Amino acid sequence: MAQRILEPGEIETLAQRSIPRVRIPARTAVFARRAARLRHLGARAGIGDYLRFLAVLVDAQHATLQDLSVPVPTPAHIQGSTEHGMPPLQPAVWPRGDAWFETLRILGEALAAHADFPAAVAQTVSRIRRASRDWIEGQADALLQSGDEAVDAAAAPLVMASLQVHWAAYAASFAAEKVSPLDVPGVCPLCGTQPVASVVYAQPPYQGYRYLHCALCATEWHMVRVQCTRCGAVGKSIAYQSATLGANPENDGSAAQSAVRAETCEECHGYRKVLYQEKDPGVEPVADDLASLNLDLLLGERGYHRASGNPLLWQPDGN
Amino acid sequence: MSELTRRQFLKVTGLSLVGSSLALMGFSPGEALAEVREYKLTRATETRNTCPYCSVACGILMYGLGDGAKNALPSIFHIEGDPDHPVNRGTLCPKGAGLIDFVHSASRLKYPEYRAPGSDAWQRITWDDALDRISKLLKQDRDANFIAKTPDGLTVNRWLSTGMLAASASSNEAGYITQKVARSLGLLGFDNQARV
Repeated sequence: MAQRILEPGEIETLAQRSIPRVRIPARTAVFARRAARLRHLGARAGIGDYLRFLAVLVDAQHATLQDLSVPVPTPAHIQGSTEHGMPPLQPAVWPRGDAWFETLRILGEALAAHADFPAAVAQTVSRIRRASRDWIEGQADALLQSGDEAVDAAAAPLVMASLQVHWAAYAASFAAEKVSPLDVPGVCPLCGTQPVASVVYAQPPYQGYRYLHCALCATEWHMVRVQCTRCGAVGKSIAYQSATLGANPENDGSAAQSAVRAETCEECHGYRKVLYQEKDPGVEPVADDLASLNLDLLLGERGYHRASGNPLLWQPDGN
Repeated sequence: MSELTRRQFLKVTGLSLVGSSLALMGFSPGEALAEVREYKLTRATETRNTCPYCSVACGILMYGLGDGAKNALPSIFHIEGDPDHPVNRGTLCPKGAGLIDFVHSASRLKYPEYRAPGSDAWQRITWDDALDRISKLLKQDRDANFIAKTPDGLTVNRWLSTGMLAASASSNEAGYITQKVARSLGLLGFDNQARV
């Protein structure tokens, strides 16, 4: 094959100059990918029936998002946030309005339409339908960590899913290069929410970079690898632990092949999962985090704490 | 704020799952809890380092396995360019890309060895012996060949019969100290390893 000779200046133009800092969620793909992944993982995970149930919920999120129109932040609002180093879509500040109640109703109907789910699903849906707006607003505040009501763990995935649809729509109105970085790497630069997990991508221009995935608006932002996403520790306190089958996984090489690993930190004794797209091209943060519940259980036994929860699986307060 | 910490920092246990969304919605965590027994936690590491070959000093990520226990030898199974490193942005030259074979090479030098004049065999010696021998020979050579003044009386304080090649993958600070050591001995033939 003939060698191509590069002209002066071409190397600089062709070379990638900087790491893409932010990945904005695409309206058409974010929930569609997640639903497909939940179905795929639902076929084999220990909590497969729950994942297949969530796939129906996420399908409904996808359908709702397609023609949802939301108020987008004004340039003045964005500039004000940037000047103060604050995320522009912070739930405590950004008004969520009333439109999301309608989304909550639509998602509830989508679930209630499935007769093969456990009776508790329909009961939860009707309980939410009958609930007062104040109670629902209180739950939303609790889930978005700006209120102090106790989380209703049964209603939480449904309420959170509705909020996710709206925040993904707000986030989708941004251009990645217009998002200002925060001086805190551990929270979403758009909405200030904690990430659910992180992904190391395999495709250019994101190849080899690690991105944290926002649990609320699905925005992804770059963070240096081999660093605790909770306390910032680096070096020898960081390890990657995975749940592996087999008699001797460390020696037969299977430990090196795991697509889902927990980045554990000996400084803060916390962890968040890292997904490696190179090991499995289909990885999706919310779905793969749920499907690897066995890893959480094993780490829980060793005394490690999750740095933040999964938006579609809530534990009762006090745990 | 206590509320915040409590929710953000949670431990996942069988007990906590019983009160979770999953169980409250009528799904059973039982299978997941039973399945866990078949799995084992395995530990891997990713370690940042600098490629030892040349002065470009590319960042590398070394992937290792091992539980960190004292009696278990960690084993490196993969090395690649560090994508976050500003110098090489994840790339490596062919030599750097072959580093894993360097690490595991059967003929890799791991300790000082000495081959006596006329002998064809290497013998292992201790670091103390090696450093003693090196410093003795350096001193002998410097005592014999050090030039304090040129024939016309100009002070030069130079030592031309020995040269020094220092390592790559050194920090600025290590380079500064190396320079001070070499120059204070009067060494002129001196380079920091760069183009090998």
